[in-house]
Amino acid sequence: MNHLKRKEVAFLGKITAGITHEIKNVLAIIQESSGLMEDILDITEDGIFPHKDKFIKSLDRIRGQIQRGIDVTSRLNRFAHSSDHCPASLDLNEITEQMVLLASRFARLKNIVLESSPSDPPLIIKSDPVSLEMALFESIEILLNVMGSGGKITLSPRKIQDKCVLGIGYENNVLPEEDFMAKISSTERWTSLQKTMAFLGGTAKVFGLAPEILLYLPESIDD
Amino acid sequence: MDRMKILLVDDEKEFVSTLAERLELRNMNVSIAMDGEAALVVVENDPPQIVVLDVMMPGLSGLEVLEKIKSMDSKIQVILLTGHGATKDGIRGMQLGAFDYLIKPIDIDELIEKLNEAAKSMP
Repeated sequence: MNHLKRKEVAFLGKITAGITHEIKNVLAIIQESSGLMEDILDITEDGIFPHKDKFIKSLDRIRGQIQRGIDVTSRLNRFAHSSDHCPASLDLNEITEQMVLLASRFARLKNIVLESSPSDPPLIIKSDPVSLEMALFESIEILLNVMGSGGKITLSPRKIQDKCVLGIGYENNVLPEEDFMAKISSTERWTSLQKTMAFLGGTAKVFGLAPEILLYLPESIDD
Repeated sequence: MDRMKILLVDDEKEFVSTLAERLELRNMNVSIAMDGEAALVVVENDPPQIVVLDVMMPGLSGLEVLEKIKSMDSKIQVILLTGHGATKDGIRGMQLGAFDYLIKPIDIDELIEKLNEAAKSMP
């Protein structure tokens, strides 16, 4: 990434991180206000407050949605801070879990479930966080665009022959490797993914009958 | 048993006033301050047992306020409120003498648990 691009990414990251703090403050106020309502309902005797049950149910729903908002903004905040350090020490389990939350909406639009399958022990590499997240997202987009509706995409960091690999696999239908490759190789996204992976010092390959993109990553890139 | 005396410090007025109401419903004696300078005035004139202090505020930062509170009265316990991605502030705060830190938005039960622990551990 050249200097100007890096500055642009850092700028976007800084602004986004600042906005997530603001959103969290809003969520904190809604949380405390609905919490106060619950407190008051708790100390109100049954029968005095009409429709008390409906209020309790409604406040439960608000609490659930606040938690959802907190989870999303926390992930977005962490994502926004990705550009703070480069290269950085990265836990591939954390990166995949983060991407599942950030990209789930895109998958949901195609009725596809996005999930991660963490490696044990966790794989830690030194890499460019923004470019790695971009490569992961490009891989998800490729699968979303070439595969049908429904099914599941699993992000699984693992070691293959002593190499750190991020697998992005689609579990719904079986597709021979050549057919899968033919489907994706002409797409702009695949070309873009190849470039991103080259920048990261790695490669992107496809594997197996069940379509899977494998991102081979070096354990460390230069500062 | 005496009511626990708390000072809440945060520049988000709606947040701090609503949280104060919730703690008062739990029989705590709560005062609020919207910035570090106002907090130090309360500590000087009507010292609380425990201060719940936001780290990120305009003017004096939470960590600066913490240091001043500790130099005024080291017995006062301080619980910091930090944002996600700012846990290093919480850790730094504990090095400066804070009792503990919580990540905003907070869970009321977790806050009460911390307040009780802080009250018990007062010198």
